[in-house]
Amino acid sequence: MKKRVKGIVWGVILVVLLLYPWLFGIYFTNVFVTFAIFALFAVSYNLLLGYTGLFSFGHAMFFGAGGYATALALTHIKGCPLLVALLFGFLGAVALALLLSPIVARLAHSAFAMLHLAFSMLLYTLALKLRGITGGEDGIGGFPIPPFHIPGVVSVDMTDPLNFYYFAMAVLGGSLWIAWFLTKTPFGQIIVSVRDNAKRVDYLGFKVPHTKAIIYALSCGFAGIAGSIYAMFQDLISASALGIAQSFAPIVMTMVGGVIAFSGPIWGAGIFALIEELTTRYTERVQLVEGLILIIVILFFPGGFVHLLAVVKGKWLEFMRGKGSGLITGTWFGKKSRKKTTEGNA
Amino acid sequence: MNILETKGLYHDFNKLEVLFDINLEVKQGERHAIIGPNGAGKTTLFNVITGTYAPSRGTILFKGEEVTGCKPHQMVRRGMGRSFQITSTFNRLTTFQNIRMGVLSNRGIRFNLFCKVDKMHDVTRETDEFLKRVNLHNERHLPASALSYGKHRCLEISMALATDPDVVMLDEPTAGMSKDETRYAIELIRQLTEGKTAVIIEHDMDVVFSLADRITVLHLGSILASGPPDEIRKNKAVRDAYLGEMEG
Repeated sequence: MKKRVKGIVWGVILVVLLLYPWLFGIYFTNVFVTFAIFALFAVSYNLLLGYTGLFSFGHAMFFGAGGYATALALTHIKGCPLLVALLFGFLGAVALALLLSPIVARLAHSAFAMLHLAFSMLLYTLALKLRGITGGEDGIGGFPIPPFHIPGVVSVDMTDPLNFYYFAMAVLGGSLWIAWFLTKTPFGQIIVSVRDNAKRVDYLGFKVPHTKAIIYALSCGFAGIAGSIYAMFQDLISASALGIAQSFAPIVMTMVGGVIAFSGPIWGAGIFALIEELTTRYTERVQLVEGLILIIVILFFPGGFVHLLAVVKGKWLEFMRGKGSGLITGTWFGKKSRKKTTEGNA
Repeated sequence: MNILETKGLYHDFNKLEVLFDINLEVKQGERHAIIGPNGAGKTTLFNVITGTYAPSRGTILFKGEEVTGCKPHQMVRRGMGRSFQITSTFNRLTTFQNIRMGVLSNRGIRFNLFCKVDKMHDVTRETDEFLKRVNLHNERHLPASALSYGKHRCLEISMALATDPDVVMLDEPTAGMSKDETRYAIELIRQLTEGKTAVIIEHDMDVVFSLADRITVLHLGSILASGPPDEIRKNKAVRDAYLGEMEG
């Protein structure tokens, strides 16, 4: 029964996604693509933060690496196919991660966070200074977006926003599914154990630095895919995609959405997309509103939006059943709350 | 046959010597207790043997092979388990998931990214059987942090044994337990280490003399005496250094 309900929900979501451009028009379709890009970016970040307990201040460098790799491939390789450009984005970010992992996989806590800040600043500066390759402040833009082409079968023009929407949804949705699946595997179990107690993981026969290096590379690869789609979507990638603001985007999205669940960062990205969309109608000071929301969340719902949802669900069940519901997992307004801990992050 | 042996083992922390010339011999299948006053170097000896630190001098032999300088995960893969004096579990995971980590390790399932862990029915079955053996199956779904102290300690000990080691090193397994909990834990250890070799650091002399086949006394970083319980009880040096104050 539960499985059937789940199936229906996913079916409805799929249909809505398919019909979305017709329901809301091309403007909101583009807003949605941006949201989906940041949702994947934030989820990739949460694989490190929420699942492995690694806090990074420089995740944007992998987003940027993916974007630059794709942009460079499309600029310099003549007739580079769409999926190859995407692969370049993924591999670019993974290569950067593998380069850094011998150092960072042995670190944790503030050393991990600060070293990422340093590396991302370094890359940001490089992107600005190496004009010949990166185009400096202007970035790389106006590269050709190739069609989605399978010889003899199909060729779809990707400069059409509608087509690009479906392509982006397939890639981003697929990546999100893979990331989710990853958390359910034995490896996913090992990373949450590393988060809880790395020493004990070692004493159970697992190699902690290797485990961290693998999840790190995968997380960065997903960020690279998000960056790659971003570059193709904008037909532009510039140094700001590597900057501090870009690194903090997934952090605040994850915080606002909630680190305790896989869906948390997706909610967070959605909330921020909505805020931005609604705020820009009245003022340009979007960050002011976003900052306020962040403060409210940290003060009153440290577990984020998913925690709030759980509380509301608990209250609702209590209301429906009368007293004695066992499902309450928190309280309103930051009173001492018992967080949902049973399934780790699940 | 000695399953675990150290030869002339030394260890220092920044030139502060804490272990001197330790020649420990643990025979296959015995329960070997390590006793000694606080600061004698018992936990450091455990840390050196299990790979937390490499010794500054000397060799460690495990199953006849030299393992000096091996890392903890290498020792575990060679068949050593260890529990900690300060409870060290995965607190946000359930009891079941805590034990399952040991089962996964024992089966060599480490970097499997292609199937769901919940769908590995063999692993689930083995984990559940183990939980029944250690009487934690009623707490299966509770996060480790929500367990009572006694149960949490039991989980700590059980995790050391979940990888099905040949030698298990238990660092003060009954630390902080009430009398009843201690009795229960000792029974559990007796049961679980049947047919295995166990090295146990323990302060409770009743436990030591009832459980151990042989005892090694550590004092100020070196071995004062080593032998069967009766011999240790009669040993004058041991009485003076350690036992005397408790029995006199």
